[in-house]
Formats: sequence, structure tokens, C-alpha cells
Amino acid sequence: MKKRFVFITTIILMIALLATACNNSGNKEQSNEGNKSSEEKTKISIWHNFAGDDLRAKAVRDLIDKYKEEHPEVEVDAQAIPVDGYRQRLSTVAAANEMPDVFFVYAGSQSQEFYDADKLQPITELMDKYPEWKNNFLAGAFDRYEFEKGQIFTAPLGMSATSFMYYNKDLFEKHSVKVPTTWEEMMTAIKTFNDNGITPIALGNKAPWVAQSTIIGSLADRVTGTEWFLKAAAQDGASFTDPVFIDALGKYKELVDNKAFQDGANSIDNTQAEQYFIQGKAAMMINGAWSLTNLAASATPEQLAPIEVTTMPGIEGGAGKPNTISGGAGAGFALNKNTKGAQKQAALDLIYAVSGPDGQKAIAESNSMVMYKVELDKSKVSPLYFKAYELAVNSEITPVYDAYLSAEAGEVINNGLQELMMGGKPEDVAKKLQDAQARSTKK
Amino acid sequence: MPASLRSRSFVIMALLPALLIFIIFAIVPIFWSAYYGFFEWKGLGAAKLIGLDNYRMILEDPVFWRALKNNLILVVSAVIGQVSVALLLSLFLLKNTMFNRLMRSAVFLPMVLSTVVVGLIWGYIYHPQIGLLNQLLETLGLESWRRPWLDDPKINMFAVSIPINWANIGPYLIIFIAALQNISSEIEDAAKIDGAVAWRKLFFVTLPIIWGTVVVTIVLCISGSLKAFDHVIVMTRGGPAQSTELLATYMYNNTFTVYRYGYGSAVSTMIILISAVLIGLNHIITKRRG
Repeated sequence: MKKRFVFITTIILMIALLATACNNSGNKEQSNEGNKSSEEKTKISIWHNFAGDDLRAKAVRDLIDKYKEEHPEVEVDAQAIPVDGYRQRLSTVAAANEMPDVFFVYAGSQSQEFYDADKLQPITELMDKYPEWKNNFLAGAFDRYEFEKGQIFTAPLGMSATSFMYYNKDLFEKHSVKVPTTWEEMMTAIKTFNDNGITPIALGNKAPWVAQSTIIGSLADRVTGTEWFLKAAAQDGASFTDPVFIDALGKYKELVDNKAFQDGANSIDNTQAEQYFIQGKAAMMINGAWSLTNLAASATPEQLAPIEVTTMPGIEGGAGKPNTISGGAGAGFALNKNTKGAQKQAALDLIYAVSGPDGQKAIAESNSMVMYKVELDKSKVSPLYFKAYELAVNSEITPVYDAYLSAEAGEVINNGLQELMMGGKPEDVAKKLQDAQARSTKK
Repeated sequence: MPASLRSRSFVIMALLPALLIFIIFAIVPIFWSAYYGFFEWKGLGAAKLIGLDNYRMILEDPVFWRALKNNLILVVSAVIGQVSVALLLSLFLLKNTMFNRLMRSAVFLPMVLSTVVVGLIWGYIYHPQIGLLNQLLETLGLESWRRPWLDDPKINMFAVSIPINWANIGPYLIIFIAALQNISSEIEDAAKIDGAVAWRKLFFVTLPIIWGTVVVTIVLCISGSLKAFDHVIVMTRGGPAQSTELLATYMYNNTFTVYRYGYGSAVSTMIILISAVLIGLNHIITKRRG
């Protein structure tokens, strides 16, 4: 009898445990609905990755807080998720169909996949409501967010300019080297610096996107021209095995073979390379706008004083233009497909509060690039950032490779560039890239 | 009540919740991921059934074989660098003296450090320009021995395996010391009376007695090396150009970097199969010798 009693109690206990676990979620939903009807507060949720302590993250968080203050009738549930885990968490809730009303999405494969999975709704009506705002965006700002003709899905919060050429003025003067504007001058500079025991170009390519994002986008564009790349990325009339692309990879290999980068560039990370450069051990560094923020945060004014910024040298005989910078619209806030009615209105207002003219200005003044015409107050930003900003606004922007390649092909070219640095052949890398991109574009 | 406490059904009942949790969170996902392995799936949107295509692609991918080879390098280096070294150390550090206790703690210490810390420390030791190792070689006048240790595909797998072994000797040392301390002194005395010298005593008395423990540590070591992931992710991320890719990093990169969930699931199923084969082999070999 007793045995039986113990058996039954245990079973009941277990069932009770399971039942309460399941019930919890149900209860929550009920109480949510109860709240709404009694207090008439609109509830919206927003997810972003501005969790850090840098100026830009603080600026965005302040903008959201300001919206909360100005709209007491809206209850905003804002979640700041650290950058490293953000993509995965968003994908997870997307798969479970539990996405927040407003969320921060990256240009390129991520937003494309959300659109394909029918998770996004356009914010075109917001654009039409504030035409002046819309017109103040720089050319190409919406290129990656117009999934349907005439419909804009995101207003980018930043510009990812990925290929500034930073250089140390003092080192160039000391060894009387001309700042290179042509490929030939680049090679001369590399040789002179190597002869004097100075690393020509600092590179930290342990996370393999670095060389791809900062160097190859600009370098290859100078050789192949933008049009060819867009065709090859779409696998429509051009292929990565074309001789012109093998040429472009050959230029990169030329840099490697002439020892342009320091030893072991593939085993140190980008931050270490930035440090190496700012300590005056390397004469140049080809890196994105993010380096501005990193350098401003970690370097002393004396270290920053000789640093100048320009575009990568042009390549004579190439199909592309010189003086361009690879880059494009950065990430921005997108609207959940399922957000409707009062919530949708509140969500749109929130998007405008953060990415509208005031938001863009606040972000630009936090020393980060925006895709928007801003009258910069020179006293509020660092001098190096100001130079870079002017340069970016006045240069033509060319595509960054991984924003147009599929995730898989992006990884292939990332690894391929490392392979080239380890003695691989441009032809093999080009072939692998072509295979991967062909596989992902075929429907 | 005492009678029922001892009864079988109560034991089963008491174990059931834990067993259920184990099955739900450890066993079921294995089959689940094997099932996902039959799909082409990005983690988002619709999954497409493609049968055994993922498995075929895995077998055709040279990177997979390189990852497997790297894992086997790790297994061999772990059996030599962890089990043998731990066994040797345990013979020296058996007696409970102050010095020995200090040494034991020193060997165990890296085990307490987070693997990320270990990876970062060794990342700096191996740093091509300012790394401790290269600086040391330079001060010793061995400039020509300077290497980008984690960069050069000929040596980076070995460079990576050293910190992994260094960090994992600790627990094996403790296990061996415990096993050695369990050998009763009568056996030792009997061996002495029979006139066994040190190495004979080691091979004919000590080792056979703790052979069971050795087998267990080797199994732990193999499964541990096949799961190796964190140190490598921190030190090299499987690069450059996938030259230090392990099965686990290969799976991770495919699943979470390029979003091929189906393919990644198939890879993890392959890892389970390979582990099962290796542990089975180990079982057969050690059984014969034992």
C-alpha cells in the first residue's frame, strides 16, 4: 500500500510541476491583455544592440529614453542586447515568430532573410510623412532596403564606410615617402618602409572578415569596376572566375608578396593591429570607420596628432574609379510584420525619434558615420573623425563584398584571402567563391 | 517505510525526474539534430528535405577531412601530452610533502581558469610581434626560430594543442594520484620482497593494477579532445583559412556563421558517429591488453 502511495504522490507532484511550468506563460499573456484595456497604454517592444559604453550606443539609448519621456501614453520595452549575441537571438525569436515590434537589422543578408521569411513590413508611410527627412539621406541609403519597388523597409542609422586609408604623416615625412595615390607609388612606399624596418600596412585578420571588408572591396572595385561586381554577385552575366577578378585577387597577392603586411597578420585581431599602427610601428592601415571610434577611445592626443586619412590609391588601367570608398548603408530599425493599429503608429513614431533628423545628428556627433546630410558642429567631434566624415560624404561609395554575397560566399572569400596570404593561388580562391555564390543564388 | 525506501520502484521513481530531464535535453536533441541533418535549412523560413545530400557534401568537403585530421592530432597529442604526462607526474608527486602539494596545485591551476582566459594568455604568448615566445627566442639569440606560431599552417595545429594539454593535465593527475594511493602497501611490500626494481615494479605491478583507471582516462581524453572547441575558437577561430578547423568549430561555423543549420546538424551527427567509433576502438584495444 505504502509503495503505491509513494508512487502516486510522486506522479502527482511531477504532473503538478509540469502543469505550473506550462501555465505560467499562459497567465502572462492574459494579464497583459488585462492591462491594456484598463490603462489604455500602448505597449511596444524594441530590440537593439546598443548595449555598450561607446558614445554611439549612449546616443541611441538617450534617443529612446527621450521618446519614452515625451510619450507617457506608450510603454516601451527596450532591450539592449550585446552585439556578439544579437544576430543569433534575433534569428531565434524570428524562427519562433516572437519578434519585437521594432528591431535593429543589418543591411545585406540578414534583412534580406527576414524579408524572405515575411517578417518585415515597410516604413514607406513614415518616409512619405516626412519628405524632407527622406530627401536628406545620401544617395544609395535605401539601396539595400528596397525589397519591393517603391517600398522602403528601414531607415539606416549609420554608414558603414569600410576602407579608409589611415596613415602616419610623421613616418612618411621621416622617410620622405609620398603618400601613394597610384599603385606604383604604393609599391614604392611599401618597399621603402620595409627597407627601413617599418611595417607598411598594419592588418589584423584573425577574424577573417577584416581583409575582405576593408581591403578587397575597394581594391577589387578599382580593378573590376562596380558594375561587374554587381553582375557577378547576382550571377547574371559575370562570374568570379572571370580573368578580371583573378587580376584583382592578384593585386592583393602582390601586396602580400611584397610584405605589405606584418608577419602573422592572420593570427592577430583588428584591435591589436590598430594598436600596432597607432604606436607608430606601421605606416598605414586600411580600416573602416569603426577604427575612428576605437582610436579615439584608446590613443593619446600625441599618438593621434600625426594620423591622417585618405582613400586607397587608384589602380591604373583598372575599370573602376580611384578615390572611392567601399561602404554602404548601415543597420537600421525595422518594423515587425505583425505590428498593427495603435502599436504600429507608436512604433513608427519611435523609429522616427531615433532615426529622424535629430537622431542622425546626435549619432553623427557621437563620432560615427551617418548616411544623412548633417551640418556637423566641428567643435563637438574629433578632428580625425571630421576629416573622415568629409572624405566619406564627398567620395563615391562602392559596394562592400559581404553585403552583396550570400553568408556562405562571404565566408569563402574571407577564408580565401587568408589562403592567399598563406601561398594560395588566386585562381583557386576565385573558383571556390564562384561555386559558393552560384550555389546560394540558384533557386 | 524503511522497507519501501530500499525498494526498487522507489529508486526508479527517484531517478525518473533526472532521467526525464536528461532524455529531453541530452538524448532527444541528438536524434532531433540527426533529423535536421536531412534538410536544407537556414534556421529561418522553410526547410527543404534533401535526404542524404548534406552527408554527401560533408564527405566531399576537404575541410571536413582536415578538421577530422586536426581532431585526431589533438587526440594523439592529448593522450601523450595529458595522460602520459599526468601519469608520470603522479608517480613523482605521489608522496604528500609540502613541495608536492604545491606542484599539484600548480599543475591543476590552469584547469580553474576559464578557457577564454587560457586562450587569450596563449594568444599573447604566441603573438607574432610582441609575443613572449618570440621575444624569448630573440633574447636567446635564436632569431631564426621566430615564427607566427598560430599563423603558419605547418605548425599552428601543434601550437594550438600545447595550451589545450597544459590546461587539461590537472584532473588526470588527481585521478592517477587517487588510483596510486589506493594500491595497498602489502602489494608494494610483496613486490619489494620479490626484489622488483623500480621500473619492473611500475610495469608489472603498478600499471596493471591501475589499468582500469588508465582506460577510463583515455576514454575521457578522447571524448574531451573530440569536443575541443573553446580554446581553438579563442586562439584562431579555426583559421587562418580553416587550417586549425576542428569538427566542433566546423560545425559551429557552418551553423552560426553561414547559417546552414541543416548542414551543421548533419556535421554534429557525424561527430557523434566518429566519437562512437573511436571509443569503440579504444575499448577493443585496451580490453585485449588488459
